[in-house]
Amino acid sequence: MSDRLTRVSSPAAIEDDLAALWRDAARDAPIARALMANLVVYRDCPAADEVDLSAPLEGVPIDEVIERHPSRLIRLHHGGRPDPGAPVGATISVLLFDTAGARFGVEEIAVRSSCADASLPSIVRRLALGDIPTSIWWTEDLSHSTPLEALVTMGRQLLYDSRRWADLRRGFLALAALAAHPHGPDLADLNWRRLTPLRQALAHAVVAIGAPLDALDPRALGLRVRHGRNERALAWLLAGWFSARLGWTANDEWPVTIEEQPDGEAILTVSLGAGAITATMTAQHVLVDYNGRVAPFSMAVPHESEAEAVAAELRSLTYDSGLRDALAALAARLTSSGSL
Amino acid sequence: MAESLFDRLSAGLAQPLAAEPVTLVIFGGTGDLAHRKLLPALYNLHVDGLLPPRFAVVGIGRGDLTDEAYRDFAKDGVVHFSRRPPDEAVWKIFAESLYFVSASFDDPKAFAPLGSRLDVIEHERGLTGNRIYYLAVPPSMFVPTVKNLAHAKFIGPPDTPPFSRLIVEKPIGRDLASALTIDDAIAEVFDEKQIYRIDHYCGKETVQNILVMRFANSIFEPLFNQKYIDHVQITVAEEEGVGTRAGYYDQAGALRDMVQNHILQLLTLVAMEPPRSLDAEVVRDEKLEVIQSLRPIDAAAVDSQAVRAQYTAGFDLGSPVPGYRDEPGVDTGSRTETYVALQFFVDNWRWAGVPFFVRTGKRLPKRASEISIHLKGVPPILFNTDPAARLDPNVLSIRIQPDEGFALAISSKIPGPRVRIYPVKMDFQYGSTFGNISPEAYERLLLDVMAGDPTLFMRRDTVEAAWRWVMPVLDRWAEQKDAPLATYAAGDWGPPEADRLIESTGRRWRDL
Repeated sequence: MSDRLTRVSSPAAIEDDLAALWRDAARDAPIARALMANLVVYRDCPAADEVDLSAPLEGVPIDEVIERHPSRLIRLHHGGRPDPGAPVGATISVLLFDTAGARFGVEEIAVRSSCADASLPSIVRRLALGDIPTSIWWTEDLSHSTPLEALVTMGRQLLYDSRRWADLRRGFLALAALAAHPHGPDLADLNWRRLTPLRQALAHAVVAIGAPLDALDPRALGLRVRHGRNERALAWLLAGWFSARLGWTANDEWPVTIEEQPDGEAILTVSLGAGAITATMTAQHVLVDYNGRVAPFSMAVPHESEAEAVAAELRSLTYDSGLRDALAALAARLTSSGSL
Repeated sequence: MAESLFDRLSAGLAQPLAAEPVTLVIFGGTGDLAHRKLLPALYNLHVDGLLPPRFAVVGIGRGDLTDEAYRDFAKDGVVHFSRRPPDEAVWKIFAESLYFVSASFDDPKAFAPLGSRLDVIEHERGLTGNRIYYLAVPPSMFVPTVKNLAHAKFIGPPDTPPFSRLIVEKPIGRDLASALTIDDAIAEVFDEKQIYRIDHYCGKETVQNILVMRFANSIFEPLFNQKYIDHVQITVAEEEGVGTRAGYYDQAGALRDMVQNHILQLLTLVAMEPPRSLDAEVVRDEKLEVIQSLRPIDAAAVDSQAVRAQYTAGFDLGSPVPGYRDEPGVDTGSRTETYVALQFFVDNWRWAGVPFFVRTGKRLPKRASEISIHLKGVPPILFNTDPAARLDPNVLSIRIQPDEGFALAISSKIPGPRVRIYPVKMDFQYGSTFGNISPEAYERLLLDVMAGDPTLFMRRDTVEAAWRWVMPVLDRWAEQKDAPLATYAAGDWGPPEADRLIESTGRRWRDL
């Protein structure tokens, strides 16, 4: 259960007002200030003046995330007519949680800004605490609203969800560039996370008939991916992963077929080696079938809310070489072929 | 050699791949442990995608259950005791991996049909014959069950696939002689590499965090020695009485039930030297070194360094509760101790002269397990000169349950014109830092057995060394059959004798 104490503040008085708010929060009973990270949440707002900073973000489970991964939450509402001045408004909050007898609080700073893009990092630099990691959660469609490099490279981690993308090509190319950036953040794609059970199942699946497959030229394996509605990015991520892991270069003929299968409960159906292995991922499980030659098996797909998935990614703070390799392979393919 | 397809596809996965295909055979499959702990733990591992993709659980028991009835039994356990409620779609897949075989563990003839059924299950599920045998049975059944496994030729050699592993629950024996008997009998059948002696305390997050806290933080480790530490306290307090375990507990008592295993395992983690690697045998060697460094408590020292007591009638949160001898199933003349306090020393360079105090008991005011490391006080100069306002020494407390985490008590100036000092606490709580994500201890431990990692399990030499150390205390108490037994009222923090034990050294038990 959570309660929220909120006050309107001004950009210059945020820290003092927050300190006062914490004192108020602890007036009736002691409270632990829980703080593991800075979490910067970016929102486009075409008309910044009209944003209600005290209102929850629509469709983004922020409170649930920071309950699981207590962070100084810095909400940046940015856009509108460029104004050379500082942020135009700020609201501060303390969210109080009481779980299993542990009473703790998490702080939130919401800032409304219409300053020039280039000055956004200065806001984050001022508000982020220095001795804890900073993660940037891009809740917008990153393929439409490309993140400002100076902003995302301030963070140790950039979190996004490629499932939201309208333009896959633009999204993959933007991310591949960030992945190759020498000071780029660790990338965490919620959609990539959803692919984990399927990747695990496929790795296990090849063991049963590994020797005949190992003998083949990887390019001869052939990959057919059918995806459910709104799962196109997931299918492409899988294809990128296979390309990277099996060494399919951009100059080779790409042995990949991707098509939509809008009906049924399958999220992805993957056929490898001309049907030698078929893996079907639904919301509940991955079923691996060997066309009758070996007993099939299934693996559970962990049930996670979006908040649980985001919190888990925020906790991990790891360099995901699989995702970077997949993005690089997709970028190479896109650059050579021009389109998806 | 060319990279296999498996190597290519498994590289870079964010979490390690689940272990090899395996059948988990639970002797005592309808018992309390399976119902409350093992089956819920397996379900949670399944939900998290951590079980091997090819997997079966075969519960063995004397009851006459169908597979369906066993699945219902398992689901009931998940409903009541799992950290997650069952999700119907996920449960359906998990339930398909559960089977039941009715068999008597001590009947050699029962093992042939059991073997046939296991073969059929393994064939149907594409399993390779890897098996883990879990002895969730009373200790008296360990040896007959293991002998029957050998007689039925269920056990393969240690280094040849498919693997055979054995999980043994504590207590292993009730004294050194019986522990040796059990270990010898098991060793005739299983190689030590195949044996996993489980102590669920070692699977708890905070317990695993002790090594991380000590050896991943340069601030603490330099302080963990006789130069800076005044003393160490380990408390394992239970608010419950003997409950339904009277049959076992009245034969065991607190020293066997808690100190010989759980508490000495905690001690090894707090006191061990830095291992040169995280290799299982290296870590376990260092743990053994601690047990072997314990100064023996000889018969003469038992009376001054050990306190035993039994609870009498008292109150639990205002409600009257019976004394130990009035509990169902307990002998009315029982002299079994429900409380133990000990003072001892670890005789090595690091801990020379640092007293360790341990207390554990039933029907104490609250459930609380904690290790507290009490640092030496600052000299009586500057801020510690007023005898009427002595500074509290720093204390690093590691809470194992409930409210897992650790805290550091430090002194801080109270705001104002005068220098007044107040003890404050820097507190880390797992719950508020990481949310409620801690898996149950059995989840971690079962997964480790599947992966063949024995780091968190007790090795034979360590178990026997622990018995060797507690035996003089047990022997001395056995001699004192007619001596008065100290008592404490249920709901108190133990007998006055335990207070005197620590207060005679100028220290006091920490308030929990």
